[in-house]
Amino acid sequence: MYLKSSCLSIVLLSLFASGWSFLEHDSWITIDLHHSLTPARPEHFSHRGNISIPSLNSGLSTIVQNALTDTELESLKVLASQNGFYRMRATVAYPNGSKQRFLTSSKACSLLLAQFNDVLWVSLDPNGYVTGITTSQDLAPKITECSSENTQQINEKSFSSDVIIRHAELAPVPDTGSFIQKFEREREARERGEVRDNRGFFAKYWMYIVPVVLLVFISGATNQDAAK
Amino acid sequence: MDFLQSSAGTLISLSLLLLLSTCSGLYEDQIKKFDWRSVHVGSLKHAYVDLNHFQPRVLLSTHEQVVGSLCPKTGEIIWRQVLEQKPRGDIKLLQVSGFADDSSDTAAAPMGSHLGFDMMTVQGHAPALVRGWNTNIGTIEWEWSIMPLNTERAQDAVWFYSNSLLYHVVPAWRSHIEVTAYFATSGHTTGSTSKIMAAWINPESCLLSGTFYICLDGKQLISLDLVAKSTQVIATSLGAEPSSNIQDLPGLNGGLIVDKKLISVNKDQAICSDLTSDSYIVGSFNNRKVIAYADLINSILNINAVYLDDCSPVPELHLSVAFAEHYGTPSLRSFDCKSKRNSDGKNCLFLFTTTAESIVAVQQGRVRWSREESLANVIDTQFLDLPLADTEGTLENEMRGKAGDIATAFMRRITTQALQIKSLFLHVIGLGPPPTDTQRAGLVRDSFGLHKMLVLLTRTGKIFGIDNIAGKQHWKLYLPNVAGFENAEQMRLIVQRSSKHFPLQPLCAIVAKSVDTGNGVLFRFNPITGHAAEGGLLQLNYKIKQLALLSETEDDYVKGILILDGANQVHVEPKHATPLAHGMYLYTADLKTAELEGYFVKYAGGELSSLPIWNVRLGGHNSEQQIISVASKNPIEHVHSQGRVLGDRSVLYKYINPNLVAFVTQAPDATHKTVLNMYLIDVVSGSVIFSMTHRKVRAPLHIVHSENWLAYSYFNDKVRRTEITTIELYEGSAQANNSVWSSLQAPSMPLVERQSYIIPTIVEAMRETITERGITNKHVLIGTASGGIVEMSWHLLDPRRPISSTTQGREEGAIPYIPELPLPTENYINYNQTVARLRNIYTAPSGLESTCLVVATGLDIFVTRVAPSKTFDLLKEDFDYILISIVLVVLTSGSLIVRHLASRKLLKQAWK
Repeated sequence: MYLKSSCLSIVLLSLFASGWSFLEHDSWITIDLHHSLTPARPEHFSHRGNISIPSLNSGLSTIVQNALTDTELESLKVLASQNGFYRMRATVAYPNGSKQRFLTSSKACSLLLAQFNDVLWVSLDPNGYVTGITTSQDLAPKITECSSENTQQINEKSFSSDVIIRHAELAPVPDTGSFIQKFEREREARERGEVRDNRGFFAKYWMYIVPVVLLVFISGATNQDAAK
Repeated sequence: MDFLQSSAGTLISLSLLLLLSTCSGLYEDQIKKFDWRSVHVGSLKHAYVDLNHFQPRVLLSTHEQVVGSLCPKTGEIIWRQVLEQKPRGDIKLLQVSGFADDSSDTAAAPMGSHLGFDMMTVQGHAPALVRGWNTNIGTIEWEWSIMPLNTERAQDAVWFYSNSLLYHVVPAWRSHIEVTAYFATSGHTTGSTSKIMAAWINPESCLLSGTFYICLDGKQLISLDLVAKSTQVIATSLGAEPSSNIQDLPGLNGGLIVDKKLISVNKDQAICSDLTSDSYIVGSFNNRKVIAYADLINSILNINAVYLDDCSPVPELHLSVAFAEHYGTPSLRSFDCKSKRNSDGKNCLFLFTTTAESIVAVQQGRVRWSREESLANVIDTQFLDLPLADTEGTLENEMRGKAGDIATAFMRRITTQALQIKSLFLHVIGLGPPPTDTQRAGLVRDSFGLHKMLVLLTRTGKIFGIDNIAGKQHWKLYLPNVAGFENAEQMRLIVQRSSKHFPLQPLCAIVAKSVDTGNGVLFRFNPITGHAAEGGLLQLNYKIKQLALLSETEDDYVKGILILDGANQVHVEPKHATPLAHGMYLYTADLKTAELEGYFVKYAGGELSSLPIWNVRLGGHNSEQQIISVASKNPIEHVHSQGRVLGDRSVLYKYINPNLVAFVTQAPDATHKTVLNMYLIDVVSGSVIFSMTHRKVRAPLHIVHSENWLAYSYFNDKVRRTEITTIELYEGSAQANNSVWSSLQAPSMPLVERQSYIIPTIVEAMRETITERGITNKHVLIGTASGGIVEMSWHLLDPRRPISSTTQGREEGAIPYIPELPLPTENYINYNQTVARLRNIYTAPSGLESTCLVVATGLDIFVTRVAPSKTFDLLKEDFDYILISIVLVVLTSGSLIVRHLASRKLLKQAWK
């Protein structure tokens, strides 16, 4: 029972977190990752790993990634020293067999400084097809400079990636319902208010009458002065 | 504050009150003070000059679905009727009484009776509307319509008028022709539709000339008289296969123009086949039919004419006129002659239309008047500061002097002042330098920067320099053989150097595609004088795929143009700005496949290269989604306020990403009819920041994207109304980096506020106001289908408008949510000066922070200025200077006198 309710709460939480963004027909995808590390050969991509997402609605994923070899790490450091781009090619395979290729890049230096911790954002369109895959790193805010001292000491070789799926959200429609409700509510309140408001004439409008009376008095007083 | 909750009525009145306080209506005496409108008809389709009518007139119909009447003396519009949009309003036939091909004309019937007509138009195909017009005042007298059975086939239908009957000719390509005759004024058919077998008709090379249906078939013309009793096909052989399309010769039954020569397929119709000319027209002179023809040779327009019956020249009609280059190539459309009042000669008016879409009237050996109808299709505008007066210019120069050395600065000051004194002295004794052309034309910058040069680029490639206050056209330029790009992308007008860099002249560039080669074309010119600059026209040897503007160069302050060509190579124009392209990011978007690609531009070792770094596919599975709109922010925009103060005095920081671009795609959907997707994409990193989908919603879509917000209008198919959705992006209560923005290290998930509103009108254009520093409130200018422009405060479109009036919302100054946006008449900035076929609104900052310059284009052009937060930095026009100076003088003199008296009194007291 406890487990059940916690599951429910997770579902509710995720519902809340992603707005009304849910696919009508859930589906699965696999993503094949290749990256380009050699600055001299920008069109050469080597295999990095693959991701499988069994359910796009749940957003859970399993990632299998190769560790970098020493030469690859070195060439990435060269790329970082040139302030070059770490480019990654992602091939998305759908259940119906079709494939789509995506490209994303980040600064090689920031990948190094983040110790190969990166986040892969998979954006989906309303029908569950991938629109774009973006890689980004959460940088330690202090190290922003990409000097050779900073990069040379990095020996980490294995990627540790998070996959975040972003659904398209449903657009709002003009909220006529709640406005009419509010209008009705206020009208009722007013009607009720009018029934209850059975104070006397003076009790209700004293704030208008008093200034007028005062004015009359003052003008009368000045007139008398003038008459004298 | 209690009354706020009391009733909805007071709530509405409160919001109206708030609204009134933000809008700036116009007073009656301000009409046409800050604005002007120019009215157009569009490029000529049919025209008839009629000088012998009791009221001389030029009757015309245009490609912009307009019928109208011009004054033959001045070219002013007597009346104009803007008909329905295409395809419904497409004018197929304009028949004016007295201009029928044959002498028997129903129009001879008495006016007012249902048998005659003054002018008749046929428009559209399904349904086809036939209308009879009163040509004196431009009203519809009668109308009838037919709905063809086969609407697809009816698209190619042609109409002709003969013997009081109107014939509807529907071709079924390579099969037969269906001809139906109707009584022109009543719409009754005369009988059944006749089907004529004609396997020789094809969609490429057929036309109608008078009553003859003619097709080109290799070296011969095959024709058929549609009103003749026999359906005998006539074959006319040509010497050789014509190199260009065949054209009909209006006014001559069976006459047509083949390779600049005249040919008649009608055996009964003689024609002068020896003539060679670019344009012909048939008219009458001395009660004989004549053929007039006109050719442009070395900027001289020669008009000649021959009598049709014996081909002898008509010397009275010969004319030679100097023809300005900016009109383009003319083609003769109509002419008419009228006896002079006192002498026996005749006075003829020739009407031309040109490739630059001008209407030119030639009379008595000169261009009598001309109308610039290309202005009905403005595709880009720029406001440019006018040059400084000389004295101010030198001062400006001095202020900018880089030398920090006191001695040199002092010397410079002394010399400039000496020069100023000298020029003043010379000016006083009348020996000053003559004012420059621009100064003589009154084109000198005013102190508030409100007076600017408005440069308009039109679809035909004609460029205009117009004074934005007076509306006077100072210069015109025509670029022949240029067109817009692929992907439905228009030509661009780019400011490469603004007027700030005195004594360097401002520089503008037109980027277009060459019609002949398909390669890019660059044309540089001085936007103040309209003269070509930096070599003028430059033919590039590559196709243009994308372009971007670089920052200013150090030495000549020119902003280079970065061009991505068809083979993904990058180029910079001018060449010396190439190093500045290093580190630029570019993106391309294919409308059809909805694929975006991002590139990084690198400059290393004197070579520019581009590296693809990201791609995004918005097309869905089978690329059924197509991009219908791309909206980026105005690059000159300044965001003054970084955040928004909430009710609890905390700050909600805006997500201001200059690289954010909105893409909208649309596709048919099985379950939801049509689906509209909106994506916000960072075009540097290629990440999809936000995406949202609308169901049962479709184009027309209009979008504005500015600061941290987005507003777009669309048509909701489910409830059949136009709606506006607004979005605001916030970073949250803390800013990630408040000094520099980097898309590669950006906060990835902004907070998105969103709301939808109903707008009770059809939106045709939207644009945000822009001011110099961005301190003034932003308003959204909404152009409506009726030609009005509404100034809508952002407070009303704000997605944070609270549904229930909470104290927090009130503290924030947000108006409670009402689903329908109000459109009060005092918010129409163009009061009764409606802009027909409003297509676009452009805004530009003026020198005053409070004021924004606006130009609305469509068939008409409307130029005005708006002050979203009212003119807080300007004294009112009726400010009483005299009173304030009197008060000042009296106060100072009074205080002086009193002080004097007081000191005297003190002195006297001291003596006592």
